Amino acid sequence: MFNKVLIANRGEIAVRVIRACRELGLQTVAVYSDADRQALHVRYADEAYRLGPAPSRDSYLRADRILDIAKQSGAGAIHPGYGFLAERADFAQMCVDEGLAFIGPKPSSITAMGDKAVARATVSAAGVPVVPGTEGEGALSDDELLALAPQIGFPLLIKATAGGGGKGMREVRSLEEMPELVQSARREAEAAFGDGNVYLEKLVEGARHIEIQILADTFGNTIYLGERECSLQRRHQKLLEEAPSPFVDGDDELRQRMGAVAVRAAQSVGYVNAGTIEFLVDKDKNYYFLEMNTRLQVEHPVTEVVTGIDIVKEQIRIARGRPLRYTQEDVRLNGWAIECRINAEDPYNNFLPSIGRITHISTPTGPGVRVDSGIYPGFEISPYYDSLISKLITWGETRAEAILRMRRALEEFILVGVRTNIPFHQNLMDSHRFMGGQFDTRFIEQRFSMEAADINKDDHAEIAAILATLVAHRQTQRAANIIQRGARDTSNWKWLGRWERLQR
Amino acid sequence: MKYITTIGEREFLVEILDDDQIIVNGKLYHVDFQDISEQPVYSLLLEGRSIEAYVYPVEKIWQVLLNGRFYPALVEDERERSLRVAVGSQVQGRGEYQLKAPMPGLVVTVAVVEGQQVEKGEVLVVLESMKMQNELKSPRSGTVSRVRVASGDRVEQQETLLTVS
Repeated sequence: MFNKVLIANRGEIAVRVIRACRELGLQTVAVYSDADRQALHVRYADEAYRLGPAPSRDSYLRADRILDIAKQSGAGAIHPGYGFLAERADFAQMCVDEGLAFIGPKPSSITAMGDKAVARATVSAAGVPVVPGTEGEGALSDDELLALAPQIGFPLLIKATAGGGGKGMREVRSLEEMPELVQSARREAEAAFGDGNVYLEKLVEGARHIEIQILADTFGNTIYLGERECSLQRRHQKLLEEAPSPFVDGDDELRQRMGAVAVRAAQSVGYVNAGTIEFLVDKDKNYYFLEMNTRLQVEHPVTEVVTGIDIVKEQIRIARGRPLRYTQEDVRLNGWAIECRINAEDPYNNFLPSIGRITHISTPTGPGVRVDSGIYPGFEISPYYDSLISKLITWGETRAEAILRMRRALEEFILVGVRTNIPFHQNLMDSHRFMGGQFDTRFIEQRFSMEAADINKDDHAEIAAILATLVAHRQTQRAANIIQRGARDTSNWKWLGRWERLQR
Repeated sequence: MKYITTIGEREFLVEILDDDQIIVNGKLYHVDFQDISEQPVYSLLLEGRSIEAYVYPVEKIWQVLLNGRFYPALVEDERERSLRVAVGSQVQGRGEYQLKAPMPGLVVTVAVVEGQQVEKGEVLVVLESMKMQNELKSPRSGTVSRVRVASGDRVEQQETLLTVS
């Protein structure tokens, strides 16, 4: 059994995993690229070793280097976090071959779920409904994709076979625009995952994105920890998640059915450790299997907050060969949790990523607030990694309380130096459709605009003008004082002349 | 001391009488203004109303972060103001827009060619950075006069990509 864990990741998730290890009394080993020498995960860990230059492929994707460091440092296990090597079966297999515990599923489960076509075939054989698409067709050429597209029907989605997080994903409305979109999807997939294969899937319109968190131990126990609502997305990137889902809440029968199907999907690939089954749910509450994420999710905290189960610690326990500490009956949802992803993106400029040095941070605290973050004042946001810098999670007894708390926490959250999407979340919290739980995966792109939301807001331009003027005035005065002090050393006549001018 | 402070289209005439009193567009206010140690954080009591804001300069513009919103403010005294107006009137009408890279990255596509007419909001360049493909759009209509980059180029932050005139 291992006592030292290497965390093959960076940013907030590396910090999150280190925290779990600390609580379990395990030693931690961080790895870092040249851009991250001063990052929080390096400073929090017991040991830290350099991987290589800043680009991911020279650092966090270097499986060989990571395994060398694990051996040299005497780590017995590797936690991959999310992204980077988390869903690479070959990496999980290399860990196993080196006698290291991979804190995640078996390589065979990653393979089975990682190739989405195989995944869909597998779960549909287990009786889980799937969305129509080019399932089980393997890697297709551009011509084959174009030939199959009309059979599936438009609109449809192009998705990266190795993908996740919306990278390499494109929406297609007609055959004419398809060739170009296939090209750009392949390019983005190649850049993000080193694999340019894509597949097609029918677009379920008006759909909600709801996912089920599962935990499975090595003794054959598999449980689900309720659902998460992840419909609020922009360009297929999740921006806000909540647990439970306002669409499922109040319908225990639906939750149980989806939970049971999720467990069945996981068991169909002999799944062990934490995983997530993503579903598309249409307005009639039909649900379709979308994919399984064979790793820890970015949004796992909302489930932790409402169930009281520490998913990362549970992952580590499972990897140490312990049985689950919970049965399905033990899982109770208490209250409501919301997570806002704080990204270094400018919501007033087409969500363009913003880079630079964070000069000041004021982090929200107080009742019902959790912040998972990998940044600190002085930290440089580099262009090499994704723009997620912090996750703000609030809990409330009811959804309304969680929203009001989130509003309060967002107001307290101040980050200076880079632009963030905090104003976007503030506008979202004020949106009536969000408050009413009336939204689907298209809501942000089709029905939400920053400009329209700002019109209803109080305008504080006059106060801002007063503040700017007072600060500018103070600076001018200060500059004048410096000149005055120096002036005393010069001729008294000059000094008197300046003094007179100042008094005028 | 009198200042003219501009936020967007709006102008505010702010006169600072002393440490406690200011006149804004002809209205007198009692203020208590303090900076919070070593940070660009300021606390303002405006007629008893407690306001906290971050105020810091980016080039010549004061960025005011107030209630989660940014207000970029230009603060000028009367002399600076008249100087700017005089100079501004001479250069008006030229108005070239230089598209600069907002971050370092890889040029994926240059969607336009020199001499092409573009509409406001049209995509000019696709730049990959932070693992995302970002569309850089034209802020106004015009003609693409000079393209300095090609797809596949690596560019630095603030590097000029092309010009719309």
